Amino acid sequence: MARTWVRRSIRRELLVVLLAAVAITWISTAIVSYVDARHELDELLDAHLAQSASLLVVQIGRESAEIDVDRALPLHRYSRRVAFQFWENGTILRLHSANAPNGRLSSTTDGFSDADIGGKRWRVFSGWDADGHYLVQVGERLEVRDEIVAKIAKNMLWPLVVALPMLGLLIWLGINRAIRPLRLINRQIEYRAPDNLAALEIDDTPAEVAPLVASLNRLFDRVQTSMENERRFTADAAHEIRTPLAALRAQAQVARGAGDDAERTRALDNVIVACDRTAHLVDQLLTLARLEPETFAAVREPCNLRELVRLETAEIVPAALAKAIEIELESGPQVVIAGDARLLRILLRNLLDNAVRYSPQKTAIHVRVDERDGRAIVTVADEGLGVTAEERDRLGQRFHRLLGAQAPGTGLGLSIAKRIAQLHGATISFDETGPGIGLAVTVAFGPPQLR
Amino acid sequence: MRILVVEDDPLLGDALQAGLKQRGFSVDWVKDGIAAELALSTDAFASVVLDLGLPRLDGLRLLSKERAKGSKTPVLVLTARDAIEDRIKGFDTGADDYVVKPVDLDELAARLRALVRRSRGEPAAILELGPLRVDPATRTVSFRRQPVELQAREFNLLQEFMLNAGRVLSRKQIEDRLYAWGEEVESNAVEVHIHHLRRKLAPGLIRTVRGVGYVMPREPHHG
Repeated sequence: MARTWVRRSIRRELLVVLLAAVAITWISTAIVSYVDARHELDELLDAHLAQSASLLVVQIGRESAEIDVDRALPLHRYSRRVAFQFWENGTILRLHSANAPNGRLSSTTDGFSDADIGGKRWRVFSGWDADGHYLVQVGERLEVRDEIVAKIAKNMLWPLVVALPMLGLLIWLGINRAIRPLRLINRQIEYRAPDNLAALEIDDTPAEVAPLVASLNRLFDRVQTSMENERRFTADAAHEIRTPLAALRAQAQVARGAGDDAERTRALDNVIVACDRTAHLVDQLLTLARLEPETFAAVREPCNLRELVRLETAEIVPAALAKAIEIELESGPQVVIAGDARLLRILLRNLLDNAVRYSPQKTAIHVRVDERDGRAIVTVADEGLGVTAEERDRLGQRFHRLLGAQAPGTGLGLSIAKRIAQLHGATISFDETGPGIGLAVTVAFGPPQLR
Repeated sequence: MRILVVEDDPLLGDALQAGLKQRGFSVDWVKDGIAAELALSTDAFASVVLDLGLPRLDGLRLLSKERAKGSKTPVLVLTARDAIEDRIKGFDTGADDYVVKPVDLDELAARLRALVRRSRGEPAAILELGPLRVDPATRTVSFRRQPVELQAREFNLLQEFMLNAGRVLSRKQIEDRLYAWGEEVESNAVEVHIHHLRRKLAPGLIRTVRGVGYVMPREPHHG
């Protein structure tokens, strides 16, 4: 897992996302309201400007002197920035407020317009009296409007500053409550003995956490099974290795105490056999251990099954000849399966080795590679003493050795073959070669995926 | 002393047979539980070396069957199973000793001697009867403090008489205890060995009970 500088935290992420969402929504609302308010205010104040203009028009003629608006009625603070001008025929300035400039407020002579006068922005309404004699222009500084709208916006935004931390606190508490089951799981696992793989028990598991607990429990179960297998395997292996070691030691001791050369030689020969056998057992155990399904991923490449069988049969021929056993690979189709050639050869070697090992002298072994119902089939059939139906069920159990088996064996060959078959999705079955004769071992692979 | 070795592993069984023979035992070796049961029902063994993981009839099953039949033959379990529970189960089933593989042959021989000794109610490791002193561990004999050289068979025979002092042993019983299967027993071998023992030790040491067998009296009158 890539370790980031700051570890991810559901709590922090939820908090950030929720607060950001609230802030964004709030601010968007504020922006929309601001724009809307500005628009409404513009309309309202424009109407006032127009109204002021019409009131002024009514007064034309009655007043001709300059009116100092600033010194007039104590008006509202926003009103002080209103200025007006009366232009006779639109050209001669007859009357104006003190704060009005000498030039025209706006070049427009009708309706609303915006003007820039001495660096200040004005909103101007222009209109004529009923006779069309006087042009009246009423202007208002736009910054007034800006101030009002800014005030509205401020009023809308400041609660956010208070509300966000409060919301944050509430969200924090809520999340804490929601992730309590996670903390409980953590505590249960943290204070566990390393070998405790019992299922987690969380009361009242929320729907979001239940799959995690279930997955963890399934994992615990698998690990437990795997550990038990391993423990049993180790125990079995330790036991199985004790007997050849005991034989090795005892034979060596017999050699040391031998009364004559013949006895000593015989015992020393047995020491060598015992060493080989122990080494073989260790090899088989290692093979089996490597094939543990938890740790092993079989290679899948096209394998010519017939060719593999031919190679392994050729390998076993010397051993067969030594016992005057006829070994024959019957003709049949080429069959290609997906698999791990190295492992398949171990499987085949174990089957052939067993057949030769347990066949009496001067018998025959028939090997067949076939394809039936789209399944690749390998059969190794011997003419040995056979195995009773009851014993057949126990074939392939780890360290199980056939009764009265005189030939040395580890009891692991078929276990290994079975494991390899399992890794290839194949099954191994045992049958008689003929009524009451021999043992026929059949490996049936899944349908070939490669041709 | 005749020992039955029950061990399915060919190399270990072979080594136990050869090694115990070197140490003065007569040894029979069987490779499965059923064969062991048969051997025990037909022959008298001083002790049994029993493997537990056996084909056909498991060692512990065999042991409990034998004990149920009332067999008092001391049994030494020799096994790869070393767990405490296994040992306890072994003893509770009727084992007299429990040894985990691998084992030293000298130790195994010593344990077997001890088992046989105890089973005959003889606590001392060195057998003594009057002026006769027999040390099964070193396989040495002294008579009136003088060392006596005995052949292996003669020693075994003497040991049998010492362990069965005061009890009459038939020729058949003696042969059974001295010879393993397949060992050639000449028809007058027992008489010859007894003759040698009388000559090397004392004429009155072993008495002949006509038509019944031989006995070593508990209080011998050495002529």
